[in-house]
Amino acid sequence: MAPFLDYIQFVLAPQMITGLSLGVAVVLVALGLTIIFGLLDVINMAHGEFYAMGAYLALALGAAGVNFWLLLVLVPLIMVPIGYVVERGLIQRVFNSPDRHVTTLLLTFGLGLVVEEGLKIVFGPNTQRPPTPISGAVEVLGVLLPNYRLFLIVVGVAIVAAVALVVNKTRYGAIVRAAAYDRNMAASLGVPVSRVFALTFAFGVALAALAGVLLAPIYSVFPTMGRDFIFLAFTVVIVGGMGSIMGAVIAGLVITQIQALASLIVSPVWGDPIVFSVMVLVLVMRPQGLFGRLGHA
Amino acid sequence: MMLKLDEVHVHYGLSHVIQGVQIEARPGEVVGIFGRNGVGKTTLLKTIAGWVTPSGGAIQLDGKRLDGLPPDQVCRHGVGFVPEDRRIFPGLSVEENLRLGLMQRAGRSRAEQQAEIDRIYERMPRLAERRRQVATTMSGGEQQMLAMARVMVGRPQLVLIDEPSEGLAPMIVADVFAIISEMKAAGAIVLLVEQNVHGALDVADRFYVLERGTVIVRGDAKSETDRAKLIKAIAV
Repeated sequence: MAPFLDYIQFVLAPQMITGLSLGVAVVLVALGLTIIFGLLDVINMAHGEFYAMGAYLALALGAAGVNFWLLLVLVPLIMVPIGYVVERGLIQRVFNSPDRHVTTLLLTFGLGLVVEEGLKIVFGPNTQRPPTPISGAVEVLGVLLPNYRLFLIVVGVAIVAAVALVVNKTRYGAIVRAAAYDRNMAASLGVPVSRVFALTFAFGVALAALAGVLLAPIYSVFPTMGRDFIFLAFTVVIVGGMGSIMGAVIAGLVITQIQALASLIVSPVWGDPIVFSVMVLVLVMRPQGLFGRLGHA
Repeated sequence: MMLKLDEVHVHYGLSHVIQGVQIEARPGEVVGIFGRNGVGKTTLLKTIAGWVTPSGGAIQLDGKRLDGLPPDQVCRHGVGFVPEDRRIFPGLSVEENLRLGLMQRAGRSRAEQQAEIDRIYERMPRLAERRRQVATTMSGGEQQMLAMARVMVGRPQLVLIDEPSEGLAPMIVADVFAIISEMKAAGAIVLLVEQNVHGALDVADRFYVLERGTVIVRGDAKSETDRAKLIKAIAV
């Protein structure tokens, strides 16, 4: 019995808790992605770069002396107008083209490349690491967990809960869900659909940037940092159901657990192939994902 | 205040769906739009609502041009649209669906908005009973009521209604037409597309018959000779 308990305490539990903190991080990145897809029907390939922009903004403002806690509010607020302008100035222009999916996918992909190269030019190609705002560690179930990771889990859960509350329980959320389901009907009831689209896109971008601020102290800051998370975030969004908040949360937590626990059995290099195989399987068996889309019953 | 469609044309790609339609309607008037399937009745309503952009002509309400405006701006000019198949939002509760209708007119106080909702609940107690329910769990008749109620809370000057009686039991159809009469009594212009011609003629003041995108007959709904022309025109 004792070896089994030791296995749980020293092997399984640490893996699961590390998986959980990664899971929360992935959900934070996936959240904005799934909302943007659910409402606008746009696959935002630049999402990872908005996440990177958030991290770099935090780095630059932090170096200028701005307090970390203020950055958590300031960076998303700075990104809202940027997201708004991107939606109105770029995405809206090609939105009504007959092959919207391809056009917006290519457009945001290109935008992502521009941002990535821009970050390289402005901040240089090297990896930088902002100081961890909370130091120390606590023991959770016998596992030593850095305080900052614990903070990330708590804040992540709070952010997801707040977003779910706004989308599902408020008047603005009802407007977003209605516009996501049937933009013409929503417009005919007076919903200013194009403004709602731009604001929601901006909100998704701000969420990505907030994730960038929160994750920078753990995963470091470098120009291609967006790519690392975005593949995982896309997998989560596809498995959970594109446009479903609940789906993103559950898929994000389950997939990172699969990845964490698989590394106990096979070499960790198999983590990514296993995760992407799950995505392929879901695409084949249940292409719409596990949960329904935003605004759909 | 008057609705005026002047030489309205609509193209879907190469097909010329609406070919120079002229229609006029005044406040407190229900105008029936009849015709066989596929003659452009639904397209005509969608064009007025701003879902389809006309390729020519003018649509005016109260002297203001509506053609070319997006649906939300058309709505702000006092146009309510109850489309075919009702288009209830399935992810929203009955009350959320209803409250969306309040966006038609901005600048009303909370109390005024609540008064509009209460007025609807009083008129349609079934909706009040089901206010928390997901809207698409209701029967077809209740969903039709909700689609009409959702427009009524905005007190539009012009209401476009497409096939409201389709697939409904006779009792509910009577209620639907009663509500249309109430809209008329409140001074709205109602454009009514209906396959149930006899039911529609009971509430309509005038009618137009479309054939291949153009008006072929127009008349007075209460005149026996005009009715005879109508029946002849749409008889299969």
